[in-house]
Amino acid sequence: MDPQAASPVDDRLYQRLADLLSSERPDPGPGHAELRPAVEQALHHEARLLDDRCYRDWLERFTDDCVYWIPLDPDGDPRAQVSYLLDDHRRMEDRIGLLETGWAHAQEPPSRTCRIVSNTAAWPLDGGETLARCSTVVWEHRKDRLTPFVSRNDYVFASLGEEWSIRFKIVRLVDSRGDVRKFSFVL
Amino acid sequence: MNALDTLVQPDRVHRSIYTDADVFNAEMSKVFGGAWVYLAHESQLPDPNDFLTSRMGLRPLIITRDSDGGLHALFNRCAHRASIVCQAECGSARRFQCSYHGWTYSNRGDLVNMPYPEGYPADFHKADHGLAQVPRLGTYRGLIFGTLNLEAPSLAEWLGPAGPLIDGFVDRSPSGRIEVRNCQRMIYRGNWKLAWDNAGDGLHPTFAHRSFLILNERQHGGARSLSQFKASPDDTGMYGADLGNGHMFVDQRPGLHQSFWETQRPVPGREWYAEQIEQSCGDGAADVLEMAPGSMINLSIFPNLLIKGNHFETVDPVTVAETRLHTWMVAADGAPDEVNVLRMRIAEDFPSLGNPDDLELFERCQEGLAIAEVEWVDMSKGLDHEAEEVDADGVARAPVTYEGPMRGYLRAWLELMSSDVKLTTAAAGEVTCEVAA
Repeated sequence: MDPQAASPVDDRLYQRLADLLSSERPDPGPGHAELRPAVEQALHHEARLLDDRCYRDWLERFTDDCVYWIPLDPDGDPRAQVSYLLDDHRRMEDRIGLLETGWAHAQEPPSRTCRIVSNTAAWPLDGGETLARCSTVVWEHRKDRLTPFVSRNDYVFASLGEEWSIRFKIVRLVDSRGDVRKFSFVL
Repeated sequence: MNALDTLVQPDRVHRSIYTDADVFNAEMSKVFGGAWVYLAHESQLPDPNDFLTSRMGLRPLIITRDSDGGLHALFNRCAHRASIVCQAECGSARRFQCSYHGWTYSNRGDLVNMPYPEGYPADFHKADHGLAQVPRLGTYRGLIFGTLNLEAPSLAEWLGPAGPLIDGFVDRSPSGRIEVRNCQRMIYRGNWKLAWDNAGDGLHPTFAHRSFLILNERQHGGARSLSQFKASPDDTGMYGADLGNGHMFVDQRPGLHQSFWETQRPVPGREWYAEQIEQSCGDGAADVLEMAPGSMINLSIFPNLLIKGNHFETVDPVTVAETRLHTWMVAADGAPDEVNVLRMRIAEDFPSLGNPDDLELFERCQEGLAIAEVEWVDMSKGLDHEAEEVDADGVARAPVTYEGPMRGYLRAWLELMSSDVKLTTAAAGEVTCEVAA
């Protein structure tokens, strides 16, 4: 994507993100079983791309109007609160570009990761989109320390199957209100 | 613990100030008790009966606003058997009841009730058993400070030339007020002073943040956030200053050759929100947009508040080799909502892209400091060139890569650590609160 292209983030998009978080209550039910295999296939593929640090291939799986969000407050409206990060495609490119400079000290040596994706459920949304929720543990090993990053993730897939693509990815760390260890790899 | 004045010398400091648990324990009383310590901001408890929990060094606190609007910094410790009485981060409450045996306190700290009151000795008076509290509070432009040292100078004196610089930061908001919102907590394995050294250090950005500088040039080109550190930062006019009492100032503004808004890296929503502001503010839009990016200053209020860009960072020591950093979002009160939405995205830009590299380097320093036989940390750059230029407030400025601000705060640290500070606590009704501005 052109780094000079305008950000797609506007008030309407923020509202959609805030609504997505609140859609968890009341209970949306167990999910649609027939969507689960395709969603799991995409989530497991994404996990492999990230654990293999194939960040460019990972980024290509996001739509131009995507958002990758790690909130700090579980009920926060991103317009009124700071997040750990809330990236559009442009800032995701920056984040990966930073690692590619070779001077990102916090990733020297780089982390090795293994992520476990579980408790997956999926629901159809209007316009052919799919909402997926899962529980994730990313185990990070770096400099003799093994650190778990535990989160409940929400995804909105723009498409599934071979050409799966993500519109929104929200990583809700269970300890986002507590002391988070620094990280600059992708969760 | 070695004699303190051998540990801090004009050109170098001893490794043990970062590694010795005895030094750390002394700091927790003499510095994080004897100095004025930043506790919270008034905007976090705007209404009567609001409260929040905070810390003063290792002491858990409840900062309260009573029903008459008065501020209190209560030790979060039941007078009975020491359990902390408040678990919530913030909220509204007239009373705090200890869950262990039911002793109940007002938000002024008075003991108002204990269950089954019969059986206590005849000389047991409730008035003697309230929550102990910080005896001296002070506010400056909404910033709440406290000290346990009745001999400490007034807050206004303590802040000295840092006061007008706080004014400059706060007065970027149209209403002359700021609003402190949520925070991000990060922990690193290193001594708290490594963060403090870094805050007055204009030498590190070129190297520590090389990834950020290269990225911005590759992706966005031109003069972008921090690009004034790309080469020869001392030729740009940027300067550092020792403000006395441990306070430090790094001014990046002379290194800019365009507006804050033009130099700001593009953040999510930049174009749409700027367009809204241009439509609603017309000719004034450029001035309004200028409120969104960081202030281009690093103002460090010793010992625990770092004002960086447009957020606050509070330094919260945990152990001699472990420190929590809280990055607080600061909104510009009275600015259009669009400005503050942009400030949210800007406040997470450098903290998520640049701070991990800083923290990594703090941890590498702590690793290196483990070598007992290699004793000294060098801070000599600029030693022979102090006070090159003195500004109207009598503050000496030096080129930004010089290490004068660090030497300055460590002189103040040494003075506090060598002093015979007497710390006291107060009971409800014995507290003073001075309004410095």
